[in-house]
Amino acid sequence: MNRRGPRNLHRQKVHLTNWRQTVRRVWQYLAVHRLQLGVVFLLTIVTTAVTVIGTRINGIVIDRYITHSNVHMLLVVCGLMTVMYIIASIFTYFQSAIVIKVAQSTSAEIRHDIFNQLKQLPMRYFDTHDNGDVMSRLTNDVDNINTALMQTFVQLFTGVISIIGMGIAMLVLSPLLTVLTLLGSVATYLFSRAVARVTQRAFMTQQQALGSLNTQIEESVSGKQVVQLFDHVVPTMATFEQTNQQYTNAAFRAQALSSVIGPFNNMTNNVVYVLITAVGAISILSGQHFMTVGIIFTFLIYLRNFTGPINNLLDLINTLQLSLVSAERVFEVIDEVPEKDAKDAVSVTQTRGEVTFDHVSFAYDQRLILKDVSLQAQPGQMVALVGQTGAGKTTIMNLLTNLYPLQQGRVLLDNRDVTTIKRADLRRLITVVQQESYLFTMSIRENIRLGRPDATDSDVERAAKQANAHTFISQLPNGYDTQLTENARDLSQGQRQLLSIARAFVAEAPILVLDEATASIDSNTEADVQRAMTALMADKTSFVIAHRLSTIQAADQILVIDHGQVIERGTHQSLLAAGGYYAQLYNSQFERVLN
Amino acid sequence: MFRLIMQHTHRFARWAFFLAPLIMLGEVLCDLQQPTLMSQIIDHGLAKGDLSYVVGHALLMLMFAVMGLVFGGTCGALGSYASLKMGEQLRQHMLNIALLSRDPAGLAPATLITRITNDVTQMQNLVMLLTRGMVRSPMLLLGGVVMSVLVCPDLAPILFVIMPILVIFLLVIIIRSVPLYTKMQRSVDSVNRTMRENLQGIKTIKSYVLENRQQRQFDVENTGLKATSQRAAMATVTLSPVIQLMLNLGVVAALGYGGQLAISQTISDGQIIAFVNYMIQITTAMIQTVNIVTSFSRAITSSARVQAVLAEEPPAETTLTTQVPINSQIEFDHVTFGYEASKPILSNINLTVPTGQWLGIIGATGSGKSSLINLLTRSFDQYTGQIRLGGVDIREMSLTDVHERISVALQDSILFSGTVQGNLSYGKPTATQAEIEAAATVADAASFINDLPDQYQAVVEQRGKNFSGGQRQRLNLARAITPDHDVLVLDDATSAVDQETNAHIKQRLQQTRADKTTLIISQRVTNVMDCQQIIVVTDGRISAQGTHQELIQRSNFYRDLVKTQLGGDQLANE
Repeated sequence: MNRRGPRNLHRQKVHLTNWRQTVRRVWQYLAVHRLQLGVVFLLTIVTTAVTVIGTRINGIVIDRYITHSNVHMLLVVCGLMTVMYIIASIFTYFQSAIVIKVAQSTSAEIRHDIFNQLKQLPMRYFDTHDNGDVMSRLTNDVDNINTALMQTFVQLFTGVISIIGMGIAMLVLSPLLTVLTLLGSVATYLFSRAVARVTQRAFMTQQQALGSLNTQIEESVSGKQVVQLFDHVVPTMATFEQTNQQYTNAAFRAQALSSVIGPFNNMTNNVVYVLITAVGAISILSGQHFMTVGIIFTFLIYLRNFTGPINNLLDLINTLQLSLVSAERVFEVIDEVPEKDAKDAVSVTQTRGEVTFDHVSFAYDQRLILKDVSLQAQPGQMVALVGQTGAGKTTIMNLLTNLYPLQQGRVLLDNRDVTTIKRADLRRLITVVQQESYLFTMSIRENIRLGRPDATDSDVERAAKQANAHTFISQLPNGYDTQLTENARDLSQGQRQLLSIARAFVAEAPILVLDEATASIDSNTEADVQRAMTALMADKTSFVIAHRLSTIQAADQILVIDHGQVIERGTHQSLLAAGGYYAQLYNSQFERVLN
Repeated sequence: MFRLIMQHTHRFARWAFFLAPLIMLGEVLCDLQQPTLMSQIIDHGLAKGDLSYVVGHALLMLMFAVMGLVFGGTCGALGSYASLKMGEQLRQHMLNIALLSRDPAGLAPATLITRITNDVTQMQNLVMLLTRGMVRSPMLLLGGVVMSVLVCPDLAPILFVIMPILVIFLLVIIIRSVPLYTKMQRSVDSVNRTMRENLQGIKTIKSYVLENRQQRQFDVENTGLKATSQRAAMATVTLSPVIQLMLNLGVVAALGYGGQLAISQTISDGQIIAFVNYMIQITTAMIQTVNIVTSFSRAITSSARVQAVLAEEPPAETTLTTQVPINSQIEFDHVTFGYEASKPILSNINLTVPTGQWLGIIGATGSGKSSLINLLTRSFDQYTGQIRLGGVDIREMSLTDVHERISVALQDSILFSGTVQGNLSYGKPTATQAEIEAAATVADAASFINDLPDQYQAVVEQRGKNFSGGQRQRLNLARAITPDHDVLVLDDATSAVDQETNAHIKQRLQQTRADKTTLIISQRVTNVMDCQQIIVVTDGRISAQGTHQELIQRSNFYRDLVKTQLGGDQLANE
């Protein structure tokens, strides 16, 4: 019995921009395995042929040997069939085994390529692409490609060969019965088309209601505390009840009708079954010698194997198209332009630590973020950047490590343009401590060592001590070997920041950037973190971005940034004396205390 | 599981649930008639040359085919009805529990959401399965065996050899492959995790030049995934060829052995053909049964997950407040609270906030500040001691009465999709436009709302994602101000707005709520230093209590905070 019910009644519309090219690129991955694929191709032809021929022999056995009482030949042919079927099954086994190997290797290859690409894409890409979207390309889309390779493709291929093979065999045997069989498939197709048309509105309403149902559930449950605090449970449930009923009604209209498709296909099959038997029998009775009991028998078995593939053909093609869409999404990632060093980029492993911004302007999506920023940091100096969120402070530092291409001006390290230095070298010279540096799922020791891969265990521990992190690490049950969970959720924010400062200590880079490194720390550890940072800055050219002005009063230079421009510069004392924006900011933070 | 379905199907839905499988039996019986009738046409109609017998039987078969459709269609409709109605009831019930439950140890929101959405869908599929596939495939299987034995007892031994072999083979494959699939799932998880880390930590990776290290790690995991998925897939690869082989060998046996019997006139051609037909039917039904059992086991897990949500049903609440609070004085009287007795989150809190007083609460993250508020707003009731509002134990007041007196602005600004107006009047649906605008002005939200094209009718998208963090927080604040309740609590509610705006908001609040009880939780000294009373919370205790000046004298913690946040020289000026 073929599968009941529609696999995919309302097929998804497929938008492929360039399917030829996508197919060609999928083929490039498969080409390595073309020998295996050729073998699969041959095996499939053989196994399908065995099914077609075997079924035919069944009928011959009845007509020639059983009816004519030829026991000897009966046993010989049965023996032959046994051998044939055993070989076919062995072939099927190898066919599937090869397909599995090829499909899994190809998926692994594609995953490797995505990752290889992702690690070297520019920051720009990650700003404009949602992590969830990228993840779904790596997981769902690669999965879809995998399924297409493992199942859909083979099914489609066997389906087509079976349809052709059986079609020819059936036509040769009896054109009349073949037409009857095909009529059944046509009826099935027309019926499901009709049902799809009738239920389309209901399906759309159902999908919409389902969407708003899920939104309501998500919103009210995740905002449960607010719902409770504002005594809103009853109205929320009342709205939900309405949507819920709407969904149920639409879904019932759609599903009740389409659930008839399965039984209808079943009935069509049975009707064709009856027709083959009856028409065959009547032909025999009316003395037409081209019809025999064996032919009826053969047709009844063909019917079982024929309707399945032919009814699923369209679904399979649709699935294949959808997986091509997936492939296209995957190739989109692989085709992004990666970060590349300039051709003449040089290797630099040391620096005095002199940093110059020479009339730098930077735009993002045609929005001007930095306008004509200049600054000069002497070796060992501490430079502070102050300003509102979004003023452009972090962007300035991103240009220093060449994370974004700049439009105008130059950023110089020891009088050398940073874009002419190999990125890896440049970034090894500059350590950035972010507001929330990322910690990976590995031991604390390995996390700190990420700062400099060749650091010894004692280097790591010394860095932890310098960062005031040693105490809390030692108190953990497994000390430095404690495995962090994803996002290091079991540590407090302050502890996480201490670890990232320890990592910066290990790196021993001559230039340091502290980007709001204390902003998200609770007041408990704040003092610890500040002491650690002061120690870290010793003898280094350092840039400090801060909200809280108390942390930067010792800076050699303070730059006040507003709307992408440097509006004031000087030391704490000179800026206060100037009575400008900085002074105003400073006073608004402290006026209450002064009163 | 069965009880779960019964509890959530009523009246007609319950009838449908029981009726559908019975009707399905009708379809199966109709289907099972076909091969037997066919064999009779061949053996009797053909052999005797009886045309009317052939036509008569053919009509009978047609009738069974049509009856099958009627039965199948009816069963489908009834099954859909039962499953959808159950889903509707279940969602309603679960959401209600989720929204009412105040158990701090309860399920996390993300879990609840998947359970109310995905798991309920799984339950719907389960009911569909119970009313259709679960009946159809096993019945076809059993019926097929019975019918084939009936139609041709002499060939029955073939079935009795093939069937046990197939069943044992299937069991072995399933048992062997399950652990392999679990292993594969673990590989999938670790590949995904590395990928996610790479995305989230991209800036760290770039600044420490960790690209190659990451790639090496990924490659190891990717290769592992390839190996485990190949192994898992290979474990089931024998399934289809073996089933096919057994079926084909069965057919050959039926022809060979049956053929000999037919030659010796013991059985007829028609019987052999019918037997082969039934055998094909049986094998297909067997494969389907295996598939159904797998989806059934998945649905079982869902039903357990749904059950766990239903188990959180909160006890009925009192809806009557016997005593009415005389004012809005808040008293904490020996309050101790904790999920585990050995690890109290709050211990022995004693505190009085007279009507109209402003109270500042300061302390480190995790010190218990927010728990104080959670108890006051009756988010949790499981504590010892007493909390009184206007002299009445809040646990003796109805939730509605408590929430009509206290409004809270939480740090997480959770907005709901709808309009700005709808969000701001959330706590007081009857609020007038003037009241809403006044609240928006105090929260410093009026200016940006007025800049929106639709102003107060502007659309708020899900989670308010079309507003910036600072704007969301100001809307969140305005929502708490709109009802103008006796008590207002700000739980770190201005953490995302800049200093200047923060100062404006505070100033306006001081004007509008000068004589009303207001509680401010903050990590910033500047936010609490004007309060008439400030408490410092450390490790679940009130470690110091007093005014700003008093605390600078008395509390080391507070003095340190002032020093780090406001700069050391400020203390000298005192």
